Amino acid sequence: MKYLFWGVLIILVFVRYFSTKPDYVDGQRLRIEGIVRQEPSRFSYHQKISLAGVSIYLEKYPEIYYGDRVVVEGTVKKGELENAVLISKEEERGAFSGFRKRVVGFFQKSLPEPHAALVAGISLGAKGSLPKGFWDNLTKTGTAHVVVASGMNVSLVASFLIGVLVTFMNRKRALILALGGIWIYTLISGFEAPIVRAAVMGSIAFSAQELGRVYSAWRALVVTGLILLIIVPAWVTDLGFILSFVATASILVFQKKTEKLFAFVPRLARGDFSTTTAAQIGVSPILFVTFGQFNILSPVINVLVLWTVPVVTILGIVGGVVGLIVPVLGKGILYLSYPLTSWFIAVVRLFG
Amino acid sequence: MQAYKYILGLFALVLGLVGLSLGYAPDGQLHLVACDVGQGDGILAIYKDTQVLIDGGPDDRILECLSEHVPFWDRRLELVILTHPQLDHYGGLIEVFRRYSVDTFLANGLDSGASSYQALKNAVGGSGVRVVTPKEDMVLRVGMIYLDILSPSQSLLTQEAPDSRTNILGAFSSKKDPNDFSVVAILRLGEFDALLTGDIGPSEIPEILARGKVREVEYIKVPHHGSKNGLTHELLDASSPEIGVISVGKNSYGHPNEETLKMLREKGVRTLRTDEEGDVEVVSDGKSWWIKP
Repeated sequence: MKYLFWGVLIILVFVRYFSTKPDYVDGQRLRIEGIVRQEPSRFSYHQKISLAGVSIYLEKYPEIYYGDRVVVEGTVKKGELENAVLISKEEERGAFSGFRKRVVGFFQKSLPEPHAALVAGISLGAKGSLPKGFWDNLTKTGTAHVVVASGMNVSLVASFLIGVLVTFMNRKRALILALGGIWIYTLISGFEAPIVRAAVMGSIAFSAQELGRVYSAWRALVVTGLILLIIVPAWVTDLGFILSFVATASILVFQKKTEKLFAFVPRLARGDFSTTTAAQIGVSPILFVTFGQFNILSPVINVLVLWTVPVVTILGIVGGVVGLIVPVLGKGILYLSYPLTSWFIAVVRLFG
Repeated sequence: MQAYKYILGLFALVLGLVGLSLGYAPDGQLHLVACDVGQGDGILAIYKDTQVLIDGGPDDRILECLSEHVPFWDRRLELVILTHPQLDHYGGLIEVFRRYSVDTFLANGLDSGASSYQALKNAVGGSGVRVVTPKEDMVLRVGMIYLDILSPSQSLLTQEAPDSRTNILGAFSSKKDPNDFSVVAILRLGEFDALLTGDIGPSEIPEILARGKVREVEYIKVPHHGSKNGLTHELLDASSPEIGVISVGKNSYGHPNEETLKMLREKGVRTLRTDEEGDVEVVSDGKSWWIKP
């Protein structure tokens, strides 16, 4: 019975993956219409969007934003759309229309670069506006994952929130409030798919871990992962998805051990240190493979900078939201993140 | 209870913020920075808490130069100048107008058909900045920094755009090379003069010289990224600078041109290039000047 359950889940993932995989022939002329569901990347003279499994390079202006409905035309060649032309573009409409964009805009008005882009990347996973040189430094040091919306950030924020909240209440209540915080966060980040799925995985794994045993947390995480893949098969190759899954799993497995390892660290910082290191154990091999750059110091660099991530996320979200209502106050909150991003940037530049 | 941990953390952040702010204490000197924006121009002049930005390079790299030299809390630029509407001069300004509040934008009315120029016009329109069109003999003052505008000339504007409206972007189009409309200006603080030249070239330089407003200067931004179609012997003689800065990056036009470099060498002008040095920062107290290492 147990094996049947797992077997069916895995077979379903395979069936869904191969039946939904788009298949284009090189040289085929395509007209693609769709909603941009991945943050467009911007370069000096063009921008890149992904639609229906192909990468599309377009003129830099007019700019396309996450959530826009676009129609493009071009010729397929090796997974890219050549000579792509933008036929039309319509901005997203809906309850959260433009909210994320406005928050990022507020970061950009309040902080210099690359601080603004770093806060936007860490807190909202909006990496579109990162300066090229700084992005190179991030990949070289193996820290690029912090600006890819992933379960890692969600897990870090969750453990940080629990850490803060247990100061004032019992563990169960702290957990419920922290999960509430995570879901408010997903709402603010515009319900972006990577953050939602990270929040789903994070919530399930954390609740299971806090309420039951580690084993059930594991099982819950794997089932959630598989179900998400049945719903959106294309995520199986999505870096954000893989990082979400592995980081959460890694924290579940290794946190107790790293906590012992960091027994010498003052209690003040031990929690952050052990969580980030635990996540690192699983995540770093994947980062080495995907970003193609091996930096032997990467785990050290990560430990040096990752403790800033939950704090920057929370300051960014709170500052961004408050800033849309009372700009001066929001700016003040964002300024508090400036020493942290300065540290982050200095470390990354030093090693990059 | 470990609430003290968070109070301590907050205190540390405030302390860090104060510490970082101290690094930006104003020094009462003019800082003229030719930003390394790749192939393009982007020059930042700072005196105390006033900033003047002349051109914005082709893309967002200008933002990093601004972050490095302008205090993080100062999100206001007193004056932005666009010498002429070509992408390697205005590309980065689009984001500048979105992120900084700008008091005055000095740019001539020549239009450009590029979609990116449309984006610049939208960004400027949306920011509520005051647009001023430059003309010879205009003098601008920003704090203690003065700008004497030498070009574009009245005759060029009358000839190309006889009844175009002023103080508006994209008011007219012209068949002439956009470079000919470049804003040429002398930026001065006390006795220190810097000649800023945009992409001006041999077709307009004689006319500028004929009006007799080019004087001896300490600093020249070598026109048109050191192109052959830029600096002339006559301009170099009339301005006799001590230092020449070439704002240039990787390009396929052969900038800077060997003859231009030779011209500067023979005249004994110390020449610095942004593609070799990165940001080139010259500092002056209004009397003497030096290069910040």
